[in-house]
Amino acid sequence: MAGLSDLELRRELQALGFQPGPITDTTRDVYRNKLRRLRGEARLRDEERLREEARPRGEERPREEARLREDGPLRARPAAASLRAEPWLSQPTSSLAYATPGAYGDIRPSAASWVGSRGLAYPARPAQLRRRASVRGSSEEDEDARTPDRAAQGPGLAARRWWAASPAPARLPSGLLGPDPRPGLRATRAGPAGTARARPEVGRRLERWLSRLLLWASLGLLLVFLGILWVKMGKPSAPQEAEDNMKLLPVDCERKTDEFCQAKQKAALLELLHELYNFLAIQAGNFECGNPEKLKSKCIPVMEAQEYIANVTSSSSAKFEAALTWILSSNKDVGIWLKGEDQSELVTTVDKVVCLESARPRMGVGCRLSRALLTAVTNVLIFFWCLAFLWGLLILLKYRWRKLEEEEQAMYEMVKKIIDVVQDHYVDWEQDMERYPYVGILHVRDTLIPPQSRRRMKRVWDRAVEFLASNESRIQTESHRVAGEDMLVWRWTKPSSFSDSER
Amino acid sequence: MTTTSQKHRDFMAEPMGEKPVGSLAGIGEVLGKKLEERGFDKAYVVLGQFLVLKKDEDFFREWLKDTCGANAKQSGDCFGCLREWCDAFL
Repeated sequence: MAGLSDLELRRELQALGFQPGPITDTTRDVYRNKLRRLRGEARLRDEERLREEARPRGEERPREEARLREDGPLRARPAAASLRAEPWLSQPTSSLAYATPGAYGDIRPSAASWVGSRGLAYPARPAQLRRRASVRGSSEEDEDARTPDRAAQGPGLAARRWWAASPAPARLPSGLLGPDPRPGLRATRAGPAGTARARPEVGRRLERWLSRLLLWASLGLLLVFLGILWVKMGKPSAPQEAEDNMKLLPVDCERKTDEFCQAKQKAALLELLHELYNFLAIQAGNFECGNPEKLKSKCIPVMEAQEYIANVTSSSSAKFEAALTWILSSNKDVGIWLKGEDQSELVTTVDKVVCLESARPRMGVGCRLSRALLTAVTNVLIFFWCLAFLWGLLILLKYRWRKLEEEEQAMYEMVKKIIDVVQDHYVDWEQDMERYPYVGILHVRDTLIPPQSRRRMKRVWDRAVEFLASNESRIQTESHRVAGEDMLVWRWTKPSSFSDSER
Repeated sequence: MTTTSQKHRDFMAEPMGEKPVGSLAGIGEVLGKKLEERGFDKAYVVLGQFLVLKKDEDFFREWLKDTCGANAKQSGDCFGCLREWCDAFL
């Protein structure tokens, strides 16, 4: 509000239905307060009305407000009501009476608002560009203060539509110039440039899908981890197998062949093997779990095993060798590995056997658990890294999309500013304040972008120029001789039908 | 407020001419000084402001409050005084 000129203040008040007296130094503040009050009332009225008639659309408004808040800083032109634009507005105003979400309902007031702002710019003309810029600048701040309170469309808002023609800025080029691809739904959002949303929409869907996938993958991974843990915790049934295998031994009774001998031989052999198996398993288990006896390897030398067995079962070495032979000849998995000099080679005779190893080391519960955990973690680590990679990718993509969107916004903002400048220039020319009806592109750039940001904004500028060349019908890109050199210029082609008779 | 103060009656009695702003009803020494600082040194200047505000009560009183810090009674008195003067002479 601080940036309003007297005329603009007057117009604003008149738009709200109030006839102010002279606006002088002493009366200005009074009228400003009046304007503020009137706006507050209008806003309250509209909010009331909208709350009544648009209850289901309640959730759209905060979204729109949030979006409008985003638009806040993107404004360049102060707008004020214009008497001339009023009759035109009364028509879309009635269509807005029920806040129709139609595309045209949305676009028309923004068009009207934009036109209204243009219509006003002319009487505000006497100011030089500098003053206008300062007015613009300060009115921007005011508009910023205004927008957080805005609600969706409404006829009473028509005035405020002009005031903050800014949702118009980004909306305008796409709304009026390009066909809006999703009129119904997009327009109700009243967000900037519905077309610009098309790409991020797909992106958003993909994003959602990807994050859902990752969630399920993580859960699945957890289950897999637990499963591995459980499996590794051990199969208590494993030793049983070996023992069962052992029970199927063909008995080799050397001395006698009667039943008793056979049975005894068999029992003895069984016992031997059982002891051997246990011994080896325990040794292997000890080795695996911290190795308190400082064993060199899981493989126990034959001599040692024989010694131990001799101690425990008091059987001869012949029996031991018989057992080994049996193990060698058996094709079942007994749970004992016979290893020769060369660890990888298979041994075929008892002579070649150097050491014995248990295939199923017996380990304590704690040891087993820790090993299981370690295995599970190691196995799972691979999947984890994959997931982490995908998460990283997702974050990267989101960042990238956000950046693209921001760039798009900046581009549209620049386009709007350029259009304003070119039109202003044309109007100046009509009033004989400028020599030529066209203005150099570089001159416009230098007017709009301060020197320190020119390099940074180069990309935005180029895109804006491109956009204007291809999508703006009212501005013609030509080559002329300006200020002594050939340069590309922009010329405003649309005849200004809003010449203000007050000028 | 139907009763008028002596100041009011004095103000209405004759053309204001070059009377100082302190002669207005409701404007005492303190307020008068503040108005003078703002350039409203004569009663007719305040009258001018009153007329420029189109003789609207709310505006005038608001203006008076903002300019010199007049309270409700003071601004009301001043407004009444000027309005009556205008009704009579303008």
